[in-house]
Amino acid sequence: MSLRVGVVGAGGFGRALALASARNGQDVVLWSREKRELSDGIRPSTDITSMRDRELIFVAVPARHAVPMAEQLGEVVDGRHLMVHISRGLIGGELQTLTKVIRERTVCRRIGALAGPLVADALAEGRPSGAILGTGFSELTEMVRDAIGGSDLRIYDTKDVIGVELASATVGFLTVILGYAQELGAEPGTLAVVATRGMVEISRVGRTLGAEESTFMGLAGLGDLIAAVAGDERPELRLGRALARGNNLQTAIGEVGAYVEGFEVAKHLLEHARRHDLETPISSTFVAVSEGRMTPNDAIQALMERRVGTE
Amino acid sequence: MGMLKRFLSERPLRLPHIRPYVPRPSDPSIFWFNSERDDIVSDVVSRICQAHESDQSRLEMALNDAAFHEIRRLEKQRDDEARDRLGYWRSMIRRIGKMDASEQRRVLHTIVTNMARDVAGNFDPRVYRFARHAIPRMIGGVMEPRRLTQDLMASSPEAVGRVLRVQGDLDHLRYLQSQGSLVFVPTHSSNLDSIVLAQALEISGLPPVVYGAGKNLFTNPIISFFMHNLGAYRIDRRIRVSLYKDVLKLYSQVMIERGYHSLFFPGGTRSRSGMIERHLKLGLLGSAVEAFTTNQVRRIDRPVYFVPTTINYALVLEAETLIRDWLTEEGQARYIIEDDEFSRIDRWVAFFRKVVGMRGACIIRFGEPIDPFGNAVDGGGQSMTPTGRVIDPGGYVEHRGKPVVDEGRDAAYTRELGEVLATRYERDTVLMSTQVVAHVLFRDLVQSTPGMDLFSRLRLRGEIGIEREALCQELGEARDRLCALEARGRMHTSEVVKEDSPSEMLERALSFWNGYHDSTAASLEGNRVVLGDPSLLLYYQNRLVPYAEEIASGDRVQAACEIQKLGAHR
Repeated sequence: MSLRVGVVGAGGFGRALALASARNGQDVVLWSREKRELSDGIRPSTDITSMRDRELIFVAVPARHAVPMAEQLGEVVDGRHLMVHISRGLIGGELQTLTKVIRERTVCRRIGALAGPLVADALAEGRPSGAILGTGFSELTEMVRDAIGGSDLRIYDTKDVIGVELASATVGFLTVILGYAQELGAEPGTLAVVATRGMVEISRVGRTLGAEESTFMGLAGLGDLIAAVAGDERPELRLGRALARGNNLQTAIGEVGAYVEGFEVAKHLLEHARRHDLETPISSTFVAVSEGRMTPNDAIQALMERRVGTE
Repeated sequence: MGMLKRFLSERPLRLPHIRPYVPRPSDPSIFWFNSERDDIVSDVVSRICQAHESDQSRLEMALNDAAFHEIRRLEKQRDDEARDRLGYWRSMIRRIGKMDASEQRRVLHTIVTNMARDVAGNFDPRVYRFARHAIPRMIGGVMEPRRLTQDLMASSPEAVGRVLRVQGDLDHLRYLQSQGSLVFVPTHSSNLDSIVLAQALEISGLPPVVYGAGKNLFTNPIISFFMHNLGAYRIDRRIRVSLYKDVLKLYSQVMIERGYHSLFFPGGTRSRSGMIERHLKLGLLGSAVEAFTTNQVRRIDRPVYFVPTTINYALVLEAETLIRDWLTEEGQARYIIEDDEFSRIDRWVAFFRKVVGMRGACIIRFGEPIDPFGNAVDGGGQSMTPTGRVIDPGGYVEHRGKPVVDEGRDAAYTRELGEVLATRYERDTVLMSTQVVAHVLFRDLVQSTPGMDLFSRLRLRGEIGIEREALCQELGEARDRLCALEARGRMHTSEVVKEDSPSEMLERALSFWNGYHDSTAASLEGNRVVLGDPSLLLYYQNRLVPYAEEIASGDRVQAACEIQKLGAHR
């Protein structure tokens, strides 16, 4: 019996999830605000009640739309539904994760977060890749593997849901920093130090929010960051490069032409770190540079002059 | 004497039955317990044995684990029980490997049956009727001896009513008890909690509940008699055997499946720090979730309603022992305190005498009931979405359209339920005057000793003084901010906190503490309030840890942040 899969959001990732599910022989409905032409095997819908008879629902909307979307879904789902989101964002100064938003606004409990180096194109075309699913429910993992997994897509799982969400949200910001460093001509060794030490400081912050540090060093964190730098041309890399060319943040964002969630997340994370007396030298320095409070040279000097400790 | 005490604690007294009691339809479910007890015990035993039957290595592991832990425990105990039982376990551990499968199963059955019988309680309606009338009067008598005769004659003892206040939507709970199994899950501060809660249920017209009580509470023959005959089941925390934990969980589960209203403390043990519990023990909570699942799979439509409950004391009987225990590393591992104030009758008398006349010295707040998945429940007992749409909770245990037992899934639901309860505890906590006063005093201590660590601060006895007028002003500000938080639904404050002037609140707190606790928390010297034992202040103020930052202003914010960080140890 095929699985009844629903996808909410018809952006690149939403369409890729629908295509992968249809390819696996599942019964797929894709919801979007506006009516769209879709491939065979995917039924389009603009009516949110079309999610009511779905067993598994993928939520593929940007974090900024998550709250109203969850409220709409809250009117149609119940305890029978299993739900997975793929957002890389966090909501507001309280760093709310999307699973929390979904949990508070719907009665869905079997929820997970899909993250890692998986990108929309590879998923849509069935090219080999991998992902990680953060969920406390093993039946959800099985269902997601049935829906989109297969010989070309390895889906690992972890119970550290918040770790997956925080790592995924902060990789975007670290990618901006690496793009910036690349544009300034940093060598691979420098990029590696920035990437690994940046991930360490972010994981330190994550731990105070209940995440496990090891999750940041896995597919959701370093794995995703390697994919970003290895050249899948994410908008965050372009944003970093635009900033390094001397643009201010607004102009750089305009130049990239895409919404980058990681930057806002970073500011909230740093505020949280400050309140908990946590050291975040790389992230704090970069935010200072991007806001014009520090020159690139001063930033490099400040970072290099820091005392070196044990890893 | 020792033998008699042990005999009574092992086999609590039951009254002889001349005529068996036949429950009436209007009686609470617990009145049926005695007629079902053997069936419940055999249900527990057969489910555990079945789970081990198909897996030989699991069976052997369970027997080895039982023998290993029991030998270790009894070797440490070196008492009469050790003399009786050690030989059995030593001989068994030598034989396990040589036993064939059927003998191993037989041994398992015997061990589990003994455990289940030891756990199972009794319910005697005569004891229940006696207790519901006599206990409040006796408590009242201890509080006010001159009113004892009057209270014994009166239909409702006033002293208990003055001291104990009950809050919450009682009509809703009274209706739900007829629809499904109520599971009361309170915060835990004192060994008095179960007695006080039983009294709160009684005066609220709510049914009696079954609950697990630590075996250490059964060492007093009188308490043991009442607990055993009022449906309490015994938990021996010294037993580390995993089969024993299975028996406890399954006993609780079977009781809830059968519609017995239950009570357990998800904090597991009394809050040593005085803080609101955050990390809850999930074992018994899980048993209630699994009870719901099992009934669904069997197509039995019996909802389970959790009632988050906070028990709030202005004065805590065992405060000094508890905070001392928390402050020592040893305390983190010490589960059973045998020698605290609860075991000393003089402390009981001093405690009750102190709280009498202090209106609302204990407030029990029954929070809004929730289903096993954290959803609110409407007036008719149906689960609801946040916007009020009615849903079927049975859907949560369905897999592809069919209800199924899935331990992993239910464990995940239980973890989530634990988080919901922790949030509810914060929201349903009622802050008492002593806690607010202690917080303001402790915050002043932190502010006036920048950079000092907690233990150095706790040594500053009698060294810090605050002008009374300035303190009252600070108290007034803290109170106003607390009331603003209360208006936003963050927690509650007692009537006293709301209505007293800051000066009255201060005097009331000092009067509560002084004369009951061995050490002085704070005292009035001229127009200054001098801090006495900061560890007592720490204990009482710890209830405000989650709100510390929000009720501070100006240069006190830094000290409040430091206090709030104590919450990381919750």
